[in-house]
Amino acid sequence: MSNLLLLLIVLPAIAGLVCYFVRSSSVRTLTVTATGAVLTAASLALLGQGSFVFEASGLWESLVTVLDFALLFVVLYYGFKLKNLLIKVLTVTQIVLLGFFELFMLDHGVSVPALMGDNLALVMVLIVSIIGSLICIFGIPYMKEHEHHLNLKKSKQPQFFLFLVLFLGAMNGLVLANNILWLYFFFEVTTFCSFMLIGHDGTEVATKNATRALWMNSVGGVALVLGIIFAYLQTGTLGIVEMLAAGPAAGALLVAVGLICLAGFVKAAQLPFQSWLLGAMVAPTPVSALLHSSTMVKAGVYMVLRFSPMYEGTFLSHGIALCGAFTFLACAALAIGQSNGKKILAYSTVSNLGLIIACAGINTPLAIIAAVMLIIFHAISKSLLFLCVGTIEQAIGSRDIENMRGLFKSMPRTAVVTIIGILSMLLPPFGVLLCKWMALEAAADHLFVIVMLALGSALTVVYWARWAGLLMGGRRIESTPEKQPLFTRGPLMLLCAGALVFAFATPFLYREALVPMFAAAHAASHGNILDAATGGFAIYPFIMLIGVGALFAMYRALRSDVRRTSPYLGGAHVGDIEDGSFLGPMETAVPYQASNYYLGEVFGELRLTPWFNIAAGGLIILMLGGAL
Amino acid sequence: MEGLVLALLGIILAPMAGGLLAGTDRRVTAWMQSRQGPPILQAFYDVFKLFGKERLMVNRWQVLCCWIYLIAAALSVGLFFGKADLLLIFFVQAAGAVFLVMGALSVKSPYSQVGAQRELVQILTYEPLLILVFAGIYLVVGSFNVGDIMAYDAPLLRKLPLMFIVLSYALTIKLRKSPFDFSTSHHAHQEIVKGVLTEYSGPALAIIEVAHWYETILILAVCSLFWATNWFWMIVLLAATYFAELVIDNTMARMTWRWMLKYVWSIGLALTFINFIWLHAG
Repeated sequence: MSNLLLLLIVLPAIAGLVCYFVRSSSVRTLTVTATGAVLTAASLALLGQGSFVFEASGLWESLVTVLDFALLFVVLYYGFKLKNLLIKVLTVTQIVLLGFFELFMLDHGVSVPALMGDNLALVMVLIVSIIGSLICIFGIPYMKEHEHHLNLKKSKQPQFFLFLVLFLGAMNGLVLANNILWLYFFFEVTTFCSFMLIGHDGTEVATKNATRALWMNSVGGVALVLGIIFAYLQTGTLGIVEMLAAGPAAGALLVAVGLICLAGFVKAAQLPFQSWLLGAMVAPTPVSALLHSSTMVKAGVYMVLRFSPMYEGTFLSHGIALCGAFTFLACAALAIGQSNGKKILAYSTVSNLGLIIACAGINTPLAIIAAVMLIIFHAISKSLLFLCVGTIEQAIGSRDIENMRGLFKSMPRTAVVTIIGILSMLLPPFGVLLCKWMALEAAADHLFVIVMLALGSALTVVYWARWAGLLMGGRRIESTPEKQPLFTRGPLMLLCAGALVFAFATPFLYREALVPMFAAAHAASHGNILDAATGGFAIYPFIMLIGVGALFAMYRALRSDVRRTSPYLGGAHVGDIEDGSFLGPMETAVPYQASNYYLGEVFGELRLTPWFNIAAGGLIILMLGGAL
Repeated sequence: MEGLVLALLGIILAPMAGGLLAGTDRRVTAWMQSRQGPPILQAFYDVFKLFGKERLMVNRWQVLCCWIYLIAAALSVGLFFGKADLLLIFFVQAAGAVFLVMGALSVKSPYSQVGAQRELVQILTYEPLLILVFAGIYLVVGSFNVGDIMAYDAPLLRKLPLMFIVLSYALTIKLRKSPFDFSTSHHAHQEIVKGVLTEYSGPALAIIEVAHWYETILILAVCSLFWATNWFWMIVLLAATYFAELVIDNTMARMTWRWMLKYVWSIGLALTFINFIWLHAG
């Protein structure tokens, strides 16, 4: 047991240090790949062992405390280096609060188990270790190419992979923590890693966005410390399990839980804190993929979900549902106005995290299962999509979706994988949609929540459908098929296969794994919702039917007796049919050009963001105020 | 088993009913415009003729997309008659609608591209309304399951009168009747006539036409849930609703998508809130 935990939490840190100090590219490749393999195996082994509680020795306890303060002082150093008053103030606040707490309030005689693994934690460890590792492996050829473009004298890859791999260990630590101070320590480590990774390229905008990420997440840090202190004063324990065992919270304890959830909101980039995650896309693509899918933001939703039993049935719970649903709606609306592929993905991430948080706030067994499933499926699909956009960007030199029109012609494989990735966020029988469906079922009693989910769901369809649609097209595939390194294609194909396999495994996963895990007490009433939902059909034949239907459509499409023709241009087309140009005024050829509706006058980013931020801020005050 | 039989029956009968309805639609419209109009079976003649035409396509994605559109539409009707979950039916239907748009986007054709973008705005407008109508039904019945809703002992119309109006907005948009016929139109006086369908021809267009019949039947079937206690009144309700659609179609001018989005969302949400508050109060 302790060995597995060492592997999952400490090994990435050691591997990161190896990457940092041994500046050889082949050693780095080997270290990262081997770490990925070990993490995957260890996470599966940990799952096999089931739930556990782990007491760490006093040595580890002291080490974490020392490292915690060391880290805070490092952050403070960066605060001075960047001359950012906010970071300085927020970090000093954390140091003072934490120091006061450790010295004068905390009873060091009582020991609590440092780590624990329950179902939620084990699922999270799987996601972090497997998807995170795939992204790190994808990063190896990507960073080579990336630095090739930048013409650096001295490679910055050692530092990059130090923080990238360390991130995985910190995430594993965060989700496995039982001692809430350990949770805080790993929370800070992820904040710091993301700060270093976002600022990696060292450009002016990268530094600016990294600074913003740091101060915003420091706000979360302060909220978390305050939450920890209040929670300790009320319950007298640092153990999360012990706090949860006490049942629904009330009074001051509820405020503490509210503050912890607020820290989760910041980490999950919920409105009005979304700007740090949007800024994070200046970083190389593997960083965005990691931040958006398996780490960082998932730490935020994990914290909200983790404490969900404590606010069950309270006004705080309603408030959380409202905040989440509002973010879901608002970010879906903001995504419509975007043509930057990475920004669309970023808004979609925030939007989906909002949905997860809304589920946590609805807080019925069905909603909690929906939230957990959404964490899994979103991690797979979103990491796939980020890696796709990264691959496309390195090939065509643009991340604007308008420049991806007819991409199937030049990059058939990547285009198809991207289309599958997009459809997996959007259509049945893919998991994300099933979760959305479960969320809607669970939210049907909450008037405002269901209205926001309904509107958001429709907005989501628009920005995904048009992106997938414009990737299609083109009929003459260029003669030389696209070439990709193994470490680029491998993760893409594995994640794509993962998305497809999970679509078919969803009912199994739901019935055999998630219902017993999260709703054992309610299994009788919730076990058959999928069966009931399809009426006379069993769910598997239904999914098979969709699969067969899709295969049939593909067969029809590939049959060769279709005669190719040119698009209809009212008889005015000139030149090569493929170009699509037509004869315009003055007998000149007008080249073909198309563009999406971005509905700027309704969904413009600059126009909407201030109002959304005000509304979201108001909702958070409502949520916290309700806890008082 | 019974569900499966009903589903198969639905899948077989729906296109026939849909085709007849399309024929009747044209006759009644002709009557309103003081014309004689085509035979009732004209819709079937058209589709059979299209199936006999040569397969002319710009690219293969279109074939894929039109087939998935048809399969999704048929499956959603099957699920409805098999008494499945309303939200699931809705999502399957939405998948088809999305593929129709993607097929149109895959072609380098100005008409098709504009049509596809407009179709997306139409989807954006009616989707939330449909979900809210289903949520309203859930609030009354306590279930999303079609079987449970049919078994409810009073007409839903009595408790959800405003939601029926909301649903009829969605119906008008889904049927692409004026004033909401932006993406593709039945009338030749619009600036983009076939829009999203421009690049589909021959058998592919026939497939889309059949899929559209399925969708019409699906939405009417959802309407029928509002008076499921009595066959007679159910048919009266459906006939009255469809007739009202025709009157609207023939008396309204086409507006712009901006107007549609703002108008339909604000009216739809206002009606929804009022009706939900009634439910909570009652």
